[in-house]
Amino acid sequence: MKGDQIPDTDHVARFCRPMQVSDGQIQATAFLLRPGEKSLSVNWLEFLNCSSRESEITKIRTTYSETFTVGARARIAILNGGEVRKKVLTESPDGQNLEVLHDPLMNDPSHSGIYNLKQDDELIAELILETVRESYSARK
Amino acid sequence: MPEIDLHRIPNGFDPAQIPSIVYGNKSINDNSPSGYPYSDTEAYESFPKKFPRRVFYKKTAFVNQEEFSTSIIDSPDNQDSITQVILLENEEDQVQELIFQIRKSLSITYHESLANRILTLFNDAKEEDSDCLGIAAESLRNFYNFFRLHTNLKCPTISLTPDYNIYASWRGEQNRVFSVHFLPNGDVRFVIFKANDRHPKRKIRISGVATIDILMEAVKPFHIEGWISE
Repeated sequence: MKGDQIPDTDHVARFCRPMQVSDGQIQATAFLLRPGEKSLSVNWLEFLNCSSRESEITKIRTTYSETFTVGARARIAILNGGEVRKKVLTESPDGQNLEVLHDPLMNDPSHSGIYNLKQDDELIAELILETVRESYSARK
Repeated sequence: MPEIDLHRIPNGFDPAQIPSIVYGNKSINDNSPSGYPYSDTEAYESFPKKFPRRVFYKKTAFVNQEEFSTSIIDSPDNQDSITQVILLENEEDQVQELIFQIRKSLSITYHESLANRILTLFNDAKEEDSDCLGIAAESLRNFYNFFRLHTNLKCPTISLTPDYNIYASWRGEQNRVFSVHFLPNGDVRFVIFKANDRHPKRKIRISGVATIDILMEAVKPFHIEGWISE
């Protein structure tokens, strides 16, 4: 349901644009807010109710391809919600308390957001980057 | 009376020989033949020219990035479509010129790698959205000027911010990080992660704002130059 907090044990996928990827490595710029954005868009993987990470990624890729252009070098970053929150809370200078909330869209029911980020916060983006444990090609 | 052949393609570019009248909101197509102003034609050829140049969007819609509104640039006073085309072309021309300058800057150790990477980023941005800026020219200019001031820097990992600004990162042993966001106004925002020598399990994390000319001076206490330079 909209606004539900995603459990700390669950995972989210972040679409990383080709210009935020270098030699297949995701860069911190993938975790910067665009002007006017209030949250970092992600997809809640456990919400998809799949049996494996591979099938979750397949579903996410389908959602991406149906809604926007997916560049050849685009990647999917997998983050653990709790790890991101803890990392930023304990290691950001002002102890920023992020929230990972479900924010379903009509055509994208697993859509969620990482909230309480500030615009142009490169330090937080670098901290989030350090929590990326897996990445996959975003193209089908 | 001699007939005018409207389909004849002129042999050389001579504006006086190409009468052009543009009515209303039609745009001018430059069909001038060859004559690249640069000697490095191979690199010039690799610069994308096929992208349609219609409207200059300062912000563009991006699905799955909700709460982000699309709006046409409104400074000053919402330019008409021709003005917007000119703005975009000027910006792209500047980016093109800067990439060439970087490629030709033999004093910069990794001039070729940097130019190639920036070109790739431009193409990636345009592949996603042909109406986007590609790269913010003034951000790229600041990046270039920074490398002209510090010619012996190791090649950074370069990416683009959501605003199409240049973001350069150097990473070293012990998870050392030095990242610099080159803003179009000449400022830079930087981030430093480094080991805390007295407390090995902890890290020092610093962020700040400077200008390109004093950035390395500002981060001197953190001994950055030693490991990001050749």
